[in-house]
Amino acid sequence: MLDFAIYCLTIIAVWSVLGLSLNIQFGLTGLVNFGQILPFGLGAYAAALAAQAGLSWPVGAGLGLVAAVVVSLLVLLPARRLSQDYWALITLGAGELFRLTALNAPSLGGADGLTVPRFADPHLALGAALALMAAAWLLSHRIAHSPFGRMLKILREDEVLAATLGRNPVAYQRTVSIIAWAMAAAGGVLYAHIVGYVSPASFTVTETFIVWTALILGGPGSTLGVVIGAAVVQLLSVSSRFLAAWIDLPADVLANGRLALFGLVLVLMFLFRPQGLVPEKKEVRDAPRP
Amino acid sequence: MLQVLFNSLVYASMIAVIAVGVSLCYSILRFANFAHIQFAVVGGYLTYSFAAIPGLPLPAAMALSAVATGLIAVLVDFLVFSRLRDITPEGKMIVSWGVALFIRSVVAIVYGGGGRSFDLSYEVVLVGDAVFTTLDALVVAVAAVLMLLLHLFLNFTRVGSGLRALASNADLAVTRGIPGDRLVRLMWFLSGALAATGGTLLALETRLQPNMDLIILLPVFAAVTIGGLSSVFGAVIGALVLSLAQNLLIYIDFGALLGGESWQVPTQFRDYVAVLALVVVLLLRPRLSPLVGR
Repeated sequence: MLDFAIYCLTIIAVWSVLGLSLNIQFGLTGLVNFGQILPFGLGAYAAALAAQAGLSWPVGAGLGLVAAVVVSLLVLLPARRLSQDYWALITLGAGELFRLTALNAPSLGGADGLTVPRFADPHLALGAALALMAAAWLLSHRIAHSPFGRMLKILREDEVLAATLGRNPVAYQRTVSIIAWAMAAAGGVLYAHIVGYVSPASFTVTETFIVWTALILGGPGSTLGVVIGAAVVQLLSVSSRFLAAWIDLPADVLANGRLALFGLVLVLMFLFRPQGLVPEKKEVRDAPRP
Repeated sequence: MLQVLFNSLVYASMIAVIAVGVSLCYSILRFANFAHIQFAVVGGYLTYSFAAIPGLPLPAAMALSAVATGLIAVLVDFLVFSRLRDITPEGKMIVSWGVALFIRSVVAIVYGGGGRSFDLSYEVVLVGDAVFTTLDALVVAVAAVLMLLLHLFLNFTRVGSGLRALASNADLAVTRGIPGDRLVRLMWFLSGALAATGGTLLALETRLQPNMDLIILLPVFAAVTIGGLSSVFGAVIGALVLSLAQNLLIYIDFGALLGGESWQVPTQFRDYVAVLALVVVLLLRPRLSPLVGR
């Protein structure tokens, strides 16, 4: 039972990192990334490939981060100076391309995927996941409360206004993407070493929308909210397993029921509480009176 | 070469019928509706269920499925999107994924994870060295008739011009007495029904499986983006261009072309063309593309 709790916490921490990464992109900057699973998958596959080649894990982690940054710049290239609809389509397409490549390239293991050496000690895995989450949290917090972060919020609310303030929106979006994608890739590296294998089935569009559900549930723009959202979503996932054992549901009905619930949560939040469980604190400052 | 044309035509027919619904929704409500793909899946499965009723011929099952899916689309609008008319387009896009996730999971629960196929008998026709089936011909004919009817409806009826007025300037249209809410519901019904028919055609040609939404997702949105939104035929042309590009890529023997051994691009890579086309179109004409509001 304790082992199980440790595993749950580890998974929650990893998904929180993924959620925090999406929060920097959408919550702060307003970038709609429908391929959030892509940097995560890049990290995971880099870790797996490095392990297969006999390299040590820091090399794999480094490769994962570099791959994520390079791909983020590639994806940005066409998305530059385009509206949010395009961002959504391009990132969605890039994510799907990655999954298809992994599925069809024999050197990437195909549908069976690749095995990765696991953490020998689950406590160590938990420690690493919590450390990464803490780092992601601190970074998010620092960004949100820096002049850079305030400019991101202006960019989110009104891109033209940001441009009239002499700032280049594209440069800001590029920096945000690099930071957020590297963060998600780090989560992916850790995920590969925790789960012990990577396969294309773990990096589908559905996974991206589980992250989105966590973000919308917690509250876009709120660092604490996203972590709570990720925790709720992952706990729902885990507890539904017990429920199934209890009332004797087949596994696939359960898996789909869970996804239906996530979809429902996403829609209901938009309908009834769009600011999320933990709303973002709006900073209101009046200009000093003359 | 003739074979490439045939294959492209068949594939484009199925994609176009689904893609026009995305265009319709975007032109009137100004957001990319990702739940639209699920209407195609639902339509395919409903046709399968209706066709299982003894004594009901396949065309009747298709029509019933189209009507039922159209009503489901209207219901989705009533429950979700009609309450969110004022949020940002990004918000609507995200909500549409929530709806998509819900519908796809419910379909998978009801019908299970295995594939199903229609038990059809058709004949094979030879034209030169190209092969096509009577089923292929039927698919192309159904798609062509539907597209033609939609074009006539939009351009030569009062209701159709109401829809076009709504698309070009919703506020003005409503001020001038056009019943906006009713027309929006009609738009949802039409796009749901068209998607269902497209999904059925796809299911007839291939087979029904819960993840067929992932198979058509990129081609449909690429077709809409390529074609532009100004007319029904934009999505049709987008689908044709895309499909031709995809089939050519697989057909051309790149190895022989470069003077080496025969080597062709594996079929699984046709989705790369969809994304590549999307990127190229976005790079070349960011202002004219459908996904920028007019």
